[in-house]
Amino acid sequence: MSSNLIQPHPVGAALVVGGGIGGMQAALDLTGAGIKVYLTDRGPAIGGVMSQLDKTFPTNDCAMCTMAPRLVEVGRHRDIEVLTLSEVQSVRGTPGNFTVTLGRQPRYVDETKCTGCGTCVSNCPTRNHVQPLPSAAFELEPEVRETVAAIIARHKSRQGPLMPILQEVNATLNYFPENVLRYIAQETGHPVADIYRIATFYSAFSVVPRGKYVINVCMGTTCYVRGSQRLMDKVSETLGIKEDETTPDMKFTLKSVRCIGCCGLAPALTVGNETYGKLTRQDIPDIVHKCQEAA
Amino acid sequence: MSLTLAELHQKKEETIEQVRLRGNGKDLMVCCGTGCVAGGAFKLKDALDKEVAEKGLGDQVRVVATGCNGFCGQGPLAVVMPDETFYGWLKPENASTLIEEHIVKGTPVRKFMFVSPETKEPIPLLSDIPFFHKQMPVVLRNKGLIDPEKIDDYIARDGYQGLGLALTSMTPEQVIDQITRSGLRGRGGAGFPTGIKWKVCRGEKKTPKYLIGNCDEGDPGAYMDRSLLESDPHSLVEGMTIAAYAIGVAQGFVYVRTEYPLARQRLQKAIDSARALGLLGQNILSTGFAFDLEIREGSGAFVCGEETSLIHSIEGESPEPTQRPPFPAQVGLWGCPTIINNVETLANVPQIINRGAEWYAGIGTASSKGTKIFSLVGKINNTGLIEVPMGITLRDVIYEIGGGIPDKKEFKAVQTGGPSGGCIPKAFIDLPIDYESLKEVGSMMGSGGMIVMDEDTCMVDVSKFFIQFTNDESCGKCSACREGSEALLEVLTRISEGEGREGDVEFLEELGLAIKDASMCGLGQTLPNPVLSTLKYFKDEYVAHITDKNCPAKVCKPLIKYYIDPDKCPGCTLCLKACPGGAVKGSNKHVHVIDQDVCTKCGECLEVCPPKVGAIVKLSGKEARELQSLAAPVAVKEWKARRAEEKRAGVQKQ
Repeated sequence: MSSNLIQPHPVGAALVVGGGIGGMQAALDLTGAGIKVYLTDRGPAIGGVMSQLDKTFPTNDCAMCTMAPRLVEVGRHRDIEVLTLSEVQSVRGTPGNFTVTLGRQPRYVDETKCTGCGTCVSNCPTRNHVQPLPSAAFELEPEVRETVAAIIARHKSRQGPLMPILQEVNATLNYFPENVLRYIAQETGHPVADIYRIATFYSAFSVVPRGKYVINVCMGTTCYVRGSQRLMDKVSETLGIKEDETTPDMKFTLKSVRCIGCCGLAPALTVGNETYGKLTRQDIPDIVHKCQEAA
Repeated sequence: MSLTLAELHQKKEETIEQVRLRGNGKDLMVCCGTGCVAGGAFKLKDALDKEVAEKGLGDQVRVVATGCNGFCGQGPLAVVMPDETFYGWLKPENASTLIEEHIVKGTPVRKFMFVSPETKEPIPLLSDIPFFHKQMPVVLRNKGLIDPEKIDDYIARDGYQGLGLALTSMTPEQVIDQITRSGLRGRGGAGFPTGIKWKVCRGEKKTPKYLIGNCDEGDPGAYMDRSLLESDPHSLVEGMTIAAYAIGVAQGFVYVRTEYPLARQRLQKAIDSARALGLLGQNILSTGFAFDLEIREGSGAFVCGEETSLIHSIEGESPEPTQRPPFPAQVGLWGCPTIINNVETLANVPQIINRGAEWYAGIGTASSKGTKIFSLVGKINNTGLIEVPMGITLRDVIYEIGGGIPDKKEFKAVQTGGPSGGCIPKAFIDLPIDYESLKEVGSMMGSGGMIVMDEDTCMVDVSKFFIQFTNDESCGKCSACREGSEALLEVLTRISEGEGREGDVEFLEELGLAIKDASMCGLGQTLPNPVLSTLKYFKDEYVAHITDKNCPAKVCKPLIKYYIDPDKCPGCTLCLKACPGGAVKGSNKHVHVIDQDVCTKCGECLEVCPPKVGAIVKLSGKEARELQSLAAPVAVKEWKARRAEEKRAGVQKQ
């Protein structure tokens, strides 16, 4: 940028876009240099992602301890004007003299009078309903969208439809691609974070692609005392993958399961819906071979 | 169409009549529970069907696919009725012999019968087999006797009579009173009196109310609920309908684990056929009472067996437990009063109504009434599902029903209550089993898993296994459980790897008690039990691991070594071929040697070494540390000569 483009009389103000930890620190540094700062954030409050974290890498410092002093300082600083629920719509001008247009969403609260007591929150009839921000745009292949939409339509009228929807999608697609989760979130009105939390909570769900055959070695107590760890080692050795991994050809995924209720057959494992019981290590290659042939 | 009670009675008479008409014929009851199916029961049934068709015996013989018979260790199995002949370990190719000999010629086939381990004689009658002898089927009274997919079979055996009785001649209060007087307690583990729970919920003003049958049987080693649904799903449907009438519920759910596809399928069929006969739905038995059932599937999370967690799972929320009170009976599913009962508890209900509270209260001990289903598994001869009256002793269960420990090994402990329970040592073998006595010795009833352990089981390893399980399944909501299980696991792992330190035992005890006090739900409050109970009864094993670096049961890999006894090794090369890591050195007719630096302790060599040779042994502790094995393989002849030389030298010295 050549210096002759800079306005002869630069305006002594800066706009910082994004009120996360980086934005806050930038704003504070700028004010330290004597510059007036406009700090904008799309969300209803500054703080950004760090406010959702417990600890930060690599020092494992408490996230709130790092950011709280900055939050307070930014909030109190006379030279920082915080503009939340605002998004940049256009930037015009040249270095030293920009004109920025911000689009602000309504807050329905007079910020100059609000003391932050929180009484309105606890009295709001829909207080526990998270008001999600419009989610990021995502693309979904038309066939996938159609499949998932059909599943959602089938269950939507039931009481508590989310689990049946997720179960059927998981069974149909074998795992949850990220955009499918976003789509389910959009269609069911749940925040993506909630859906993701459920999708990662249950062991039958997966957010990474799985092999055609999921081999579940039972690690229930009975199977364990009858030596299922050694079966697991053998399967792992035969397939050349560790637990929770998938073979590169996407045929097998190896997992352990907590008791399939076939204790009379211990040690046992399942491949899909097939159960194999009373196994010894010598049986493993045959089972794997059988699946390979079928596939 | 909705049946009336009179029509139900009539239907029962008719179906019994049908059974009687088969008077001269035979029923081949083929067990098609999950265990036997995995062993090939469907193939066996097909083979029998084909054989019957080929021989043109269709009007005399019926091949019936029943639910779990219980004697899973003998599967695939079949029982010929009405002769009550029990056949185990059947293969599809045995079908023709079975039909030809037993059905056509009328001579039971001795070679397929259960062989008594004492007398080595085959036992023809099912009721004479010790495994069945001491059992008392109440909940499982229909197991192996009916086709679980046919509602008529259930009705013929007094099915839905209890429901009829409750709906037509009892008020809901009388039903609750009956259940309270029977002394029925929750079979899911905690043992809360069922009648009292129902009464609380009935008293709640808020509507609608919900009823949930809990079949999220997550305890490893327990599968009674699965078997119940697979062998007699209508007993649950009937029990839930009676409960719904007593509490005032119109909609019920059954929450079934995702791991139980067959159970879900049979239950769905039972619900559909009950609905078709008007035993579920809008106008049950034409009395105007309405109730319906829906199956909800789990997705593999142990914590969902906890009631508040289960509710959240059905709601589609993140399945983490919430603080009680308020109890679900007051504020439950979608904020409405909800009763959650274990499947086994609910299946008891029709019997209690039908045969009376006094009859039920007559079974069991002072505080624990009725019967309990246990899954008897682990190191035991007769693996399977058993139903016994409360108060039976462990000795009866393990030695009479279970037939003792295989391979003449020593009984060491029995683990009850799953990951929430504890290990009961041999000293308490005469303990009568009920809710209180189990609690007293530091374990609990749990859902009824009974895992028998022999001398080859390492208690430190077992505790580690359970803590690994609960650590994995902890939802992470409260820190006592999340961090506590992590810390327990860390110390236990250290001990099992031979890195135990002074003070570890005391630390485990202190931490365990703290987790018990500070956790929010049942999972956390009971997770230290396996550690605490093994510490109580098997402290010496912990001490051996910590101070002597010795694993007495020779299980903990870092503390053991495999060793080939040169005096016994014939140089057959079996272990050499079996070793996956190339740690065994040797050649034909040479004494083999294990390279300890390469050995991964997989145990493959021990497995292939023929028992009559028995050259490979596991060593631990001092023995392992001071082990001096041969540096390289030696020819067997040469080794023998060397030994003989040494011996001679020894004799001369004397």
